[in-house]
Amino acid sequence: SSEFNASYSMGRLHIEHMGGERVFSCANCDCPLTNRQQLISTRFTGATGRAFLFNRVVNLDTSELQDRVMLTGRHMVRDVSCRKCKTKLGWVYEFATEESQQYKEGKIILERALINESEGFPDPVKD
Amino acid sequence: MENGSGCLNGSGAADSAEKAQQQQQCPAVQLSERNREAVRVIGQYLRELGLARSAEALVLEAGCPLESGAAAQFRSSVLLGDWDGAEASLASLRRALWRESSWSEIAFRLAEQRYLELLESGAHIAALCVLRGKLTPLQLSPDRLHRLSGLIMCSGPEELRQLSGWSGAAGGTRQALLDSVEQFFPPSVMLPPKRLSVLLDQAVRAQVSRCRHHNTSLSPDQLTLLADHSCQAAASVPSVCSQVLDAHQDEVHVCQFSPNGRFLATGGRDCVAIVWLVEAAANPPGAPRVRHHLTLRIGEERGGVAWLAWSPDSRLLLACAAEEATEVIVWEAETGDCIKKLKHRDEDSLTTAAWLPDSNHFVVGGNRGHFYLCSVDVGFEKAWDFIRVVALATRREDDGGTAVLAADTFARIRRYRFDTMQDETLFREDGPVMSMSISQDETLLAVCVASAGVHLWDLRLRVCRRRLHGLTHGAYLLHASIGGPNQDFVASGSHDARVCVWHRGCQAGDGAQQHLLPDKLSGHGGLVSCVSWNPRHHGMLASASDDCTVRIWLPASLAAAAQAASADGTGPGGAGFSSNGCCSSTVSKHQPPPLL
Repeated sequence: SSEFNASYSMGRLHIEHMGGERVFSCANCDCPLTNRQQLISTRFTGATGRAFLFNRVVNLDTSELQDRVMLTGRHMVRDVSCRKCKTKLGWVYEFATEESQQYKEGKIILERALINESEGFPDPVKD
Repeated sequence: MENGSGCLNGSGAADSAEKAQQQQQCPAVQLSERNREAVRVIGQYLRELGLARSAEALVLEAGCPLESGAAAQFRSSVLLGDWDGAEASLASLRRALWRESSWSEIAFRLAEQRYLELLESGAHIAALCVLRGKLTPLQLSPDRLHRLSGLIMCSGPEELRQLSGWSGAAGGTRQALLDSVEQFFPPSVMLPPKRLSVLLDQAVRAQVSRCRHHNTSLSPDQLTLLADHSCQAAASVPSVCSQVLDAHQDEVHVCQFSPNGRFLATGGRDCVAIVWLVEAAANPPGAPRVRHHLTLRIGEERGGVAWLAWSPDSRLLLACAAEEATEVIVWEAETGDCIKKLKHRDEDSLTTAAWLPDSNHFVVGGNRGHFYLCSVDVGFEKAWDFIRVVALATRREDDGGTAVLAADTFARIRRYRFDTMQDETLFREDGPVMSMSISQDETLLAVCVASAGVHLWDLRLRVCRRRLHGLTHGAYLLHASIGGPNQDFVASGSHDARVCVWHRGCQAGDGAQQHLLPDKLSGHGGLVSCVSWNPRHHGMLASASDDCTVRIWLPASLAAAAQAASADGTGPGGAGFSSNGCCSSTVSKHQPPPLL
């Protein structure tokens, strides 16, 4: 075992937390993901139905880049999954071919059925 | 040019004629300016050591007076107590002063010494004459004059010495007077006091600051002059794995030495905390080895041991469990007795902890927003709401209270006082904080920042002193540790299965960047999450890894001794060990391989 084996499942994951009064987490393992302040739009659709667009989400793993044609046009996306339990949760937009869709670049879609919303508490005042 | 021989003995005419003849007979050595300065400085050094004749001989042979004639005259007058002569010499030195205004200061000090000596010998009338005729006309600080005139009331020399803080004519005060006056004259007239000693000290200090592995508590004046100082890596920096501890059944996530260096606690995913004993072999001394002491279970449902914390008196061990941890457990380390199981609420998540100095109170917290002050006696005591805690440490403050340092999910490191309920942000990191570790003397804080490295903060000045790079980043928690006798070493785990060791202090003449890169110790087969320096045996480092082992690293010279001590067969076993007992650890190319 003196050879470094990259396939070990290893260590304790570093789990970030974005805080916020309404916290979204993975429905499967309750890993914190994002909050209401990061929510941009609720009018998206994913494989399981309704989906939300968020500005920033933490504790996600991303897949390889994929070319996907959607209702709104052709996009380059990566699938995102929960870092803790590996459940697929949605996708992130890397590149939008149509100019009107470029506002989505860098933002994340999470499917509503795959996340929970729960009470957080007020963020600390900026000091 | 006057023949300034610096001669301390009064010499008769015959002697000086003989000396003049001797000087003319000596071959005249042509000395450059630098060499002349060196001769003067050496001559002063010899004279200060009391080797006056050697100093004289040096001056004669080199033809290079230590100082100007008038200065030499002044010096010998003062040392002999010839005050009138000293005044005369001083008058002729007056135009050589850096600043004209310092003349009255020197005259004052001269007269002050004369006055005190007269008082000491009981000649009060003469002393009064000096006070009125010499000290007062100078019109310097009235406070000093007042203090000096008050000393007339002293009943005897003992009381005089005690009240004035002056050690008497025989107590080296004449030399002290000369030393204090030297600063007013340029070096060509009078040398600055102890010049060679100052230069030697500067040189040694410069060598120390360049020492890459500086790991000694010797002060600069104890180091040898005969060779440039450089701590041998082999003696101070851990580089060889001396033991592999494989008692754990699953990934090991935490390792911590106790503050007294006698115990090592390790824990991981197998839900077990193991306490090991550190034994320093008596013969040869200083070769520490680790031996299994106790295995403590925390229960299967708790997801593994997330954190271990030793009480400051090294008596108690506290364990926190992973994510869904509602309970913390405290054991007595020597016996293994479980003396407290602390649970406050069912929805708590308490994944990190730190003890307060009384070894009774401790703080616990987690990133779901629970942050409690508890004690072994009472249990839960106080909560601080709405803080998502990532890491904890404690620090004694000037007013006797203890501050709790907490890093939170907003990358702030804040200070909390549970006694006064005051809090304050100390500083903010520029990336998410993974863990935090305070040095033993509580002056430095090592903060592991995700995807950035280890940042060293000075807690008194509240500035970031060093950003340490070179470890491999990834998604998993890493812990760092500060160690060494002067808090000079920082170690951390890394995602590439190696242990990183930095020496934080040294300034390289050829660019400080070089020393920000760590030495890397290979040997583990999986990610190294946690490291710990032994606070008592300074070169000893423990590392915990996902390959289910804990490794003990020692400096090469100590490790060789430790191997010899284990020849009875109870030596390290387990994966990765070659037959001679040393694992195939290598040190990165930033440092030459250790000499065994």
